[in-house]
Amino acid sequence: MRDSLPPSALRALPAMVTLACLTGLAQAAPVKIGLLETLSGPQASTGQSFRSGVKYAIDKMNASGGWNGQPVQLIEYDNQGGPAGASDKLKAAIADGVQIVVQGASSAIGGQITEDVRKHNLRNPGKEIVYVNVGAEAMELTGEKCNFHHFRFTGNAQVRTKALVAGMKQAGTLGSKVYAINQNYSWGQDMERAIGDNAAAGGYQVVEKTLHDTNKIQDFAPYVSKIVSSGAETVITGNWSNDLLLLMKASKAAGLKARFGTVFLDQPGNVANAGDTALGHFIAHAFNPEAGGADSTRFVDDFKAKTGHVPTFVEPQAAFGLEMVAAALKATKPQGGALNVNAFAKTLETTRIRTPMGEVSMRAADHQVLMPFVVSVVAKDAKYKADGTDMGFKPVKVFTAEEAAAPVQASCKMQRPD
Amino acid sequence: MSRSWTLLLLGSGVALLAALPALLSAGLLNASIQMLIAALFACAYSLLAGRAGLLSFGHAAYFGVGAFATLHAMNAFAGKGLLPTPLLPLVGAFAGLLVGLVAGWFATKRSGTTFAMITLAVAELLHSLAPQLKGWFGGESGISAMRMPAWGLTFGSTVEVYYLTLAWVLLSLALLHFHGRTPLGRLTLALRENGHRLKFLGYDAHGVGLSAFVVSSMFAGIAGGLQAINNEAANYVVFDASVSAAVVLNSYIGGVGSFLGPALGAALMTFFGYAVSDATRSWLLYQGMLFVLVMMFVPVGLTGLFGAAARLKARRGWRLAVSVSALAVVATLCAAAGVVFVVEMLQRLCSHDYRALAAMGGSWPPIALFGRSWPPGSVATWLVPAALLAVAGLLGWTARRALVSPAVPQPEAAAIDGQEALT
Repeated sequence: MRDSLPPSALRALPAMVTLACLTGLAQAAPVKIGLLETLSGPQASTGQSFRSGVKYAIDKMNASGGWNGQPVQLIEYDNQGGPAGASDKLKAAIADGVQIVVQGASSAIGGQITEDVRKHNLRNPGKEIVYVNVGAEAMELTGEKCNFHHFRFTGNAQVRTKALVAGMKQAGTLGSKVYAINQNYSWGQDMERAIGDNAAAGGYQVVEKTLHDTNKIQDFAPYVSKIVSSGAETVITGNWSNDLLLLMKASKAAGLKARFGTVFLDQPGNVANAGDTALGHFIAHAFNPEAGGADSTRFVDDFKAKTGHVPTFVEPQAAFGLEMVAAALKATKPQGGALNVNAFAKTLETTRIRTPMGEVSMRAADHQVLMPFVVSVVAKDAKYKADGTDMGFKPVKVFTAEEAAAPVQASCKMQRPD
Repeated sequence: MSRSWTLLLLGSGVALLAALPALLSAGLLNASIQMLIAALFACAYSLLAGRAGLLSFGHAAYFGVGAFATLHAMNAFAGKGLLPTPLLPLVGAFAGLLVGLVAGWFATKRSGTTFAMITLAVAELLHSLAPQLKGWFGGESGISAMRMPAWGLTFGSTVEVYYLTLAWVLLSLALLHFHGRTPLGRLTLALRENGHRLKFLGYDAHGVGLSAFVVSSMFAGIAGGLQAINNEAANYVVFDASVSAAVVLNSYIGGVGSFLGPALGAALMTFFGYAVSDATRSWLLYQGMLFVLVMMFVPVGLTGLFGAAARLKARRGWRLAVSVSALAVVATLCAAAGVVFVVEMLQRLCSHDYRALAAMGGSWPPIALFGRSWPPGSVATWLVPAALLAVAGLLGWTARRALVSPAVPQPEAAAIDGQEALT
């Protein structure tokens, strides 16, 4: 991989090296942010959504001057959809000098990255890296695996369910009998627990709980008949993608009257695929363009001008997360011309920003973001339509960060640097 | 090739591998570790698929079991480890062997499609069980461990992990090669050629198949263990069908007929994934195209090309062999460049970002590719790939003409024979 240099270049080499060192002192290497996302394979569309949100925020940061007089570099790595690939690409990113890694799609990958980051930082004091998690929601990332160099900029099952239950209760559509149906892996199990935990606050009884295989079921009719016979008035589910869509379609076919409380109904394509079946169902999400007044409109218009579409699904949370990173970077002074990651992480713990939804801050105890959540219902009179249909998400209630917050998990024992 | 030449080639190959840490960056060195692990996995696989003729579609099971067993061994005794770090792959080997014995006993009762389906079922069983058994496989987030210092080495750096992997891969490859020379290895070959005849000769065909299965899954377990040591973590995704599919693809692209073919294919495809996946979103498409083309035109695998070139030289002299090979290489490069150009242009043209840009501007803006910008509506843009493909076609045609118009007609020069001798 080494090109041979002409003799004149060889003679000039010492001078060039000296020059490079001098300029290096005057102007340090820019901060490199590595996006370690699923950009190929079956989950690539989710990875692309995170990418567009992250890219939007970083472009905005660079437009306002970057960091330490230089634009922040965003380098993209394709984790190929799995933890092993993510582990490899993380090593490549570290070799490239990346100090901040960003990832969102999949808690399995998130779990791998947070552990790899912890081990790297243990072995390389003074060369720490920080993991900015914009979408992996497994409880254990801020529980048993909680780590000083991991920051989560999205909700989790407890936060989302708390907001969803409170919002549906205020809308008078929650009822007293709730059916919990979820995918049988860490996320679905977290959701099931959260639905049980919020029963007292919501004034409902969980009539039955079901965990089913993830993305393997083609016919939800047997599950729907169980829901019908349980007499539930509301179905709360953490399901996403096909599992959510097929469940809703099977319910419609069986004439089920129950309302759905969901958390990922705004994934692009879901509303278009479900059609009228989606009407009247609820969702707890991080952003609704109709909810935040003029601030929201400004954000939506700016996002649309830069990327060509209205921010949906995980794009707003990724953009807000990176805006917080940008704010913390701005408040961190360079040390010896470079970024001190530990100083940056400590600044990030105290960073507060305003998003169109309200104030967002980072909780130092477990590095779980405290962010507002909005509960919306699928309706035809929504201002912004989803997927080019005549339906959209109409906000029901916005919860402030404090109202939506869930307590710190007892299992989080964070080791902090001195 | 004479024995001394082979030894010289092997020796320089090993010396090059040993020198790699001094030559490569940390990122590339990690890619080399992945390539070594994939090479061992593919060689272990091809013992079953190539030598025994048993096409397994679920080899990720033994790779994954080896990885998890090694992680548990790393975490044993409150993180001190069951064995010193350099010996940990033994645990992976043992686990692969054990699970291979159980699964293989059932699977090798049958052959052909039924065998393939049983192996697929075993792998899928593990893949759907693993997320439920949180104690064994750690649920979705998997199990993580840390490499402990041993024998005066910290195993904190990539270089130390590289040498550990290299030592184990070389040892395993040597053992796999040696297996082919033993009477059992020859019997395995006989099983592939004619299982019925083996039975009539009084041999236990099921036992021979089972032994091949067990040896193969044991070495797959070592590969899994090495991956666990390198990544210091694993989760149930290692049981995914795509891992099983990758090893089949790698082995056949390299060529299951020769001993080092699968290793070459695996190393090549792993490096391809490492280098190309960040450069383009269409890398899976390229990988698929490569597989289809290899299967269509070089069914014995890429290593078959060397054999074909050697035979050409023997029959027609080195002058013609070199000129035809050079023509073929240049034609392939031109065709690849043309196809890549078209695919990348189309991918950018259809991308979300570009459609947004086009919708805002009202016209089709030029696309930046290979350091230049290309207006998609202009004929000149599309003439570039067309010219490349035309040149490739012309060169290919010339090479073919040189092949079919022999100066001295020879009886066997008509076609390149498909079956590679097993070495």
